[in-house]
Amino acid sequence: MDAIRGLLPHNFLPDNFLQSNSLPSNPLLWLLLTLACYQAALWLYQRCGRRAIVHPIATSAPFIALLLWLSDIPYRDYVAANQLLYFLLGPTTVALAIPLYQEFHHIRKLALPVLLTVLLGSAVAALSAVGIAWLVGANRLVLLSLAPKSVTTPIAIGIAENIGALPTLTTGVVVFTGVIGTLLSPLVFYLLQLRDMRLQGVLLGLNAHGIGTARSFEIHPTAGAFATLSMGLTGIFSALTLPYAVRLF
Amino acid sequence: MLKGVIVILLFQLLGETLVALLQSPVPGPVAGMILLWLALAIKGGPSKDLSVVSHNLIQYLSLFFLPAGVGLFFLPPELHQYLPALISAMVAGTLVAMLLSGWLLKSLARSPDSTQTRTQVRNPARNPADQ
Repeated sequence: MDAIRGLLPHNFLPDNFLQSNSLPSNPLLWLLLTLACYQAALWLYQRCGRRAIVHPIATSAPFIALLLWLSDIPYRDYVAANQLLYFLLGPTTVALAIPLYQEFHHIRKLALPVLLTVLLGSAVAALSAVGIAWLVGANRLVLLSLAPKSVTTPIAIGIAENIGALPTLTTGVVVFTGVIGTLLSPLVFYLLQLRDMRLQGVLLGLNAHGIGTARSFEIHPTAGAFATLSMGLTGIFSALTLPYAVRLF
Repeated sequence: MLKGVIVILLFQLLGETLVALLQSPVPGPVAGMILLWLALAIKGGPSKDLSVVSHNLIQYLSLFFLPAGVGLFFLPPELHQYLPALISAMVAGTLVAMLLSGWLLKSLARSPDSTQTRTQVRNPARNPADQ
């Protein structure tokens, strides 16, 4: 709290206002800060020509973490204050049916390559993460929590609970993977000389789930629809296979 | 606006109810998305209102992941020793997986039946809501 007080001009707020601790404990402040930080990050992103390297989540998440740390607010209080944003993830997932329907005539023509890539690609995504972490020396809980890393959050949490992983760790890993996948996508597209926006969408949805899908919608609505499809297929396929796959190890 | 919100929440509820009945591992919102897609295919397209609400929600998809992303900076102390493993798995693992799946997708999509459709992508979208 003292850190925040230090940022404000002298006598900016009445003394009793701060002493009663009503401002930092008001959930509305933290929802407002999340929205304001994201808006500022979005502004920076647009000013930099929507370069993946300044993705709004990559810039706003560390900044909010710093604010929480400075003002000594527990993360669980911050989560409770931002329940509205968690909730909106559900209706937004349902809303993806509309672009999926509108772009379906494009999707039908590439259905087989997309389906095969998602089947193999979601297995590669899980295996490469778990394999590398195992080589570097992670324990079983961390390995399990990494397995659903490329699966969109609501599905990943369900998988994490099912396979005995730590859901809070999985959630963080999933979001970080989405940001990393989006940041790496221009490099990957360059290395593979991948210029077809439909295929770019498939890769973003497969490896960077919702965050990659949001990025694909910025490329083109058709890319967004392909990302939606591959995100959904990756999620459903992983939910059906991962609980059985982990029993083998 | 409200009509679109009602349709979306209704389908989420339908999806969650269906998943609970079937005890399926597929999350409710994903089932709701599939049900809404089926309804659109039967009805022949979304209303203007539904398109607007859907567009506005999808525009802020990244934002809805933000609170969860902040959580990675507040891992329980007993996990701190595994941070190098976590970060290398997320960065290197994602790069390897993207390159492999991208190479596979590019090879598969190059087959003759899909190359001829490539020119059609630039066609104006079928639905006026896209413009």
